[in-house]
Amino acid sequence: MSQIQSSEDLDRVCDVLDKLTLDSLLLIEEKVRLTLNAENAMCGGEAHLAKARYIMGQNSVSALQLPTENSAEFTASAKVYPNEDEKLFGEASYELHLTGTAEGQTVQDPVRWFGVLVPQNLHSARGMFRQALQWAVQTVNIQKQLRATMEKIVELNEVKTRILAK
Amino acid sequence: MALHSAAKGKLISVIGDEDTCVGFLLGGVGEINKNRHSNFLVVDKNTAVSEIEDCFKRFIKRDDIDIILINQNIAEIIRHVIDSHNSPIPAVLEIPSKDHPYDASKDSILRRAKGMFNPDELL
Repeated sequence: MSQIQSSEDLDRVCDVLDKLTLDSLLLIEEKVRLTLNAENAMCGGEAHLAKARYIMGQNSVSALQLPTENSAEFTASAKVYPNEDEKLFGEASYELHLTGTAEGQTVQDPVRWFGVLVPQNLHSARGMFRQALQWAVQTVNIQKQLRATMEKIVELNEVKTRILAK
Repeated sequence: MALHSAAKGKLISVIGDEDTCVGFLLGGVGEINKNRHSNFLVVDKNTAVSEIEDCFKRFIKRDDIDIILINQNIAEIIRHVIDSHNSPIPAVLEIPSKDHPYDASKDSILRRAKGMFNPDELL
């Protein structure tokens, strides 16, 4: 009687393992696809940065313009928020929000670091990198799902080993 | 908008080459907090590996950071540190850079997933 029970349990575990394995393969495919989308958006953004550099000068669009640890305090305008409506294995997915104000503070426009009259390409580069950011956040969500699926597969493999050992 | 009031937004940090950092900071991810700590690191040929490792470890410890974007070629340099980070938060995402296109076979998570199907390949 217990042997029949074990064989049914084993079948059930194997079924779920099959489904999770298939899910993880689909998630891997999706992660690669989204990363390639982010790569395309970043390439576009980098081309616009190069054009802005050509117009403004080599060192006018570089790391030299970025704030350092001695610069005044400022807040990020692009932050991620948990989306409680979309949960998988108890974890909420992320949602990217771009705001002009963050927690009551006015957010500095990063374009201003590069000057007052900046070429249109710098604005285009910002748009492309924001797009890349959206793809990146979606990739992180898929990566979280993949990680959770992998953990479940490991757990079920242990259960399967225990059943087989009986 | 109810989402905003319920939860505090978390930061996205960047460890990358000049173009990656300039681009994403233009996109609005950069922040300098009250303690004068930034959430980005520009890596060039003069940046020491220990500096990248320390920065990555510092970002992992910060509870206001939920996502770390790192160029895949830089992730390769500190692979041992990235592989030892097993917690889901902050999530580490390897992104391509101008000179190094994305290679799925090097991605930490994908290597782990591949190793699960074929354990011999992880060795």
